[in-house]
Amino acid sequence: MKMKTVLGATVAATLALPALPALAQERGGTLNFARYDGSRLIDPIYADRNPDIWMVGSLFDTLLRGTADGNSVEPGLAESFSVSEDGKTVSMTLREGILFADGSAMSGDDVVFSLDRARNPDLSPWAGLLGSIDTVSADGTAITIALKSPDPTILSMLATFNTAIVSKAAFEAAAGETDQDKSAVIFAAKTAGVGSGPFYLCGFEQGSSMDFCANENYWRMGADGEPLPYLDGVHFEIIPDDATRILSLQAGEVDAAEFIPFSRVSELEADPNIDMQLYPSTRIIYSPINTREARADGSPNPLADARVRQALNYGTNKEALIGLVLHGAGQPMSSPLMAKATQYADDLSPLYAYDMAKAKALMSDAGVGEGTQITFTTLAGSADDATIFAALQQMWAPLGIDLVVEQVDGATRGAKNRSGEFDIHTYGWVNDVNDPSQVVGWLGHTPTAKAVGTGWESAEFNTLFDEAAGEMDADARKAKFARMQELYAEAAPLLFMYETPFAVALGSAVEGYVQTPLGNNIFDEATVSR
Amino acid sequence: MSSLTYIFKRLLMMIPTFFLVMIIIFLLVRLLPGDPAIAMAGDRASDADIQAIRERLGLTEPMLVQFWLFLSNTVQGDLGQSILMRTDVIDVIADRLPITVFLTIYSVALSLLIAGPLAFVAALNRGRWPDAVIRTVFQIGLSMPVFYIGLVLLTFLAAQLRLFPVGGYGDTFGERLYHLFLPSITVALYTSAIIMRNLRSAVIEVLDAEYVQFARAKGLPSRLVLGRHVLRNALISTVTLLGLSIGNLMSGTLVTETVFAVPGMGRLMLEAIFARDYPLIQGLTLTFAILVSFVFLMTDLFQSRLDPRMRLQ
Repeated sequence: MKMKTVLGATVAATLALPALPALAQERGGTLNFARYDGSRLIDPIYADRNPDIWMVGSLFDTLLRGTADGNSVEPGLAESFSVSEDGKTVSMTLREGILFADGSAMSGDDVVFSLDRARNPDLSPWAGLLGSIDTVSADGTAITIALKSPDPTILSMLATFNTAIVSKAAFEAAAGETDQDKSAVIFAAKTAGVGSGPFYLCGFEQGSSMDFCANENYWRMGADGEPLPYLDGVHFEIIPDDATRILSLQAGEVDAAEFIPFSRVSELEADPNIDMQLYPSTRIIYSPINTREARADGSPNPLADARVRQALNYGTNKEALIGLVLHGAGQPMSSPLMAKATQYADDLSPLYAYDMAKAKALMSDAGVGEGTQITFTTLAGSADDATIFAALQQMWAPLGIDLVVEQVDGATRGAKNRSGEFDIHTYGWVNDVNDPSQVVGWLGHTPTAKAVGTGWESAEFNTLFDEAAGEMDADARKAKFARMQELYAEAAPLLFMYETPFAVALGSAVEGYVQTPLGNNIFDEATVSR
Repeated sequence: MSSLTYIFKRLLMMIPTFFLVMIIIFLLVRLLPGDPAIAMAGDRASDADIQAIRERLGLTEPMLVQFWLFLSNTVQGDLGQSILMRTDVIDVIADRLPITVFLTIYSVALSLLIAGPLAFVAALNRGRWPDAVIRTVFQIGLSMPVFYIGLVLLTFLAAQLRLFPVGGYGDTFGERLYHLFLPSITVALYTSAIIMRNLRSAVIEVLDAEYVQFARAKGLPSRLVLGRHVLRNALISTVTLLGLSIGNLMSGTLVTETVFAVPGMGRLMLEAIFARDYPLIQGLTLTFAILVSFVFLMTDLFQSRLDPRMRLQ
């Protein structure tokens, strides 16, 4: 079997050689990467901001890994896994000979320690994702996870950043009283001993720069039969200003710049020295609509009527918005609850295709009169939000809506969403988890987040959501999500807008870098040729 | 009164100033909508999580108690823990302070190097073409926003000609001079325009003064007249202006440090405000206040050296 694989690989390589002489992987070198914001604490269970979450996978490995299409899992640190017939036990076998970056061996104890830590609600904000776990135990390399009840998401969760494995010994040896103190000490020490990812943290200047060095003990193999990663390291510079980040790439000071504003994409695509990448993402841009009968100040809320919300959706020309804001680099939402790249996303497109006649009819049915004032809350300083507001103000004027703007900063917008003191405000979302339950819970399930602060509530939706959480049959689960999407589209508690890719500009020396639909920055197979 | 007694008196007078600054900043950050617990926990956290964080941060205490804690800790040199960075505010500031101070001194030095000679050239050629050219160029510099000049310089000198780096700040003194040249010259172009205009008219005024006419009539060499009489007297008002400009420069670092990716206190201040990091905002404001007070004190001391009529009292 083994011989056959090697033979197959050799044949494939020989065949490919004439066409692709550069197939031999370039090894070594440091990739310089310009980020929009810095990490603060990269720990699987404490990472709670995207700049932290998206880097966890580079330093820490998970038991399972998401497949390239994002719809299932494959072996990671665990070389095999199975779920029992009754769905209440997950059995896994840890790969032999896995080492942490400092060369110490990983054992079942590390797995138990890491998962117990991850599901402790006193420690991790993500513990709720692992609520179904009853006990985790290890016997040598055999890992057993006993569940309280069947959980269709458990395998996905074992491939998610918060269940990545840390070294128990490193935590026991670290100074500090609480787990959080220890984590901070380990991070500040830039130790190689805590993770088993392709890299370890070897440099960190708060708010300025960060360095990853290759983990020489990493277990996954590259195309050349040697262990990954190909790079010696990654150096991150934090450059918050968009224009400066791009200039830094153009000046050759960095090899890659992330979060390229969409207005600059076509210009960079035309630059022969730059490889402009638009990675598919699970990011959706939408606007929660306050559906409560009365506004926070007690006045009647015209948006409480579903027909008005539908009218606003019909009256919004999504293609025009995409042209104005994204310069074409995006697509209208096709599922009301998630991006296309999410598992179980239904394609309901065109979702509220632009139809002014329909919109006007719905408005007159609802009896909403000319000059109805609606406040649109945007992020101050956001050029995108300013454009969206200006466009909507014009698009909705024929519906008799007098749209006024209220500009706030992020913290204020969050507070308003919580207290319900808004009519409509801009928002965005990227999945953290390879399962639709997280985003659907956020957008529609009342007990989770008051349906993203809209106050919308559907008993049927909530029941379906709770049932889906325990539904082990994939088809039945899919059907429940399909019905939730139908209900949500009909009720329109959001202004459904668009999906955007992750725009990353790479220098021509860079190959193999990937940003996943969840946003994770993957340097495992990246190379840089100098 | 000796200079030492004067300095001591001035330092004593700063205490009520800082006390006022502390009251104002304490109230201002709390008047901002949004709270640090939400900023910290993220939009997705539950209400219970947020309440727990608020309790942990001491935000549920009455305002007076919070202010007393802030005041008594600050007096003991404890500015608290940054919510954003999860480390002591004093350490975070100690990290960033040298960068901002370096940038400011560098900008001031460049401003003087540009403005000083040109002001003299313009004044001595009053009404002729060198004067007109210098004044026009500076007028343009004055009317362009700093971030725009910064981007233009970055685009041409850094990205296209690659004479200077786009970002970073270097490790050695020489590297810092090189890395921080573009941000410093950007600020200096603006500041030097203000100083040049002031110095030019001061020089013209002094040149017309009787004692200068007299010195010249006495047959003193022109270098001596300009150096001893004109420069010294013309500098008096310029020093005041320079002191005020340094105050402005400090607030300007918010923009410059962001555009040029310099990890100094200005950029930190922006991050702290967006995250509603009360302890960090308070600590940074206090540090800026101390720096500005120090600059004003130095200005006054320097001025009394230049002009004996301005006695220290």
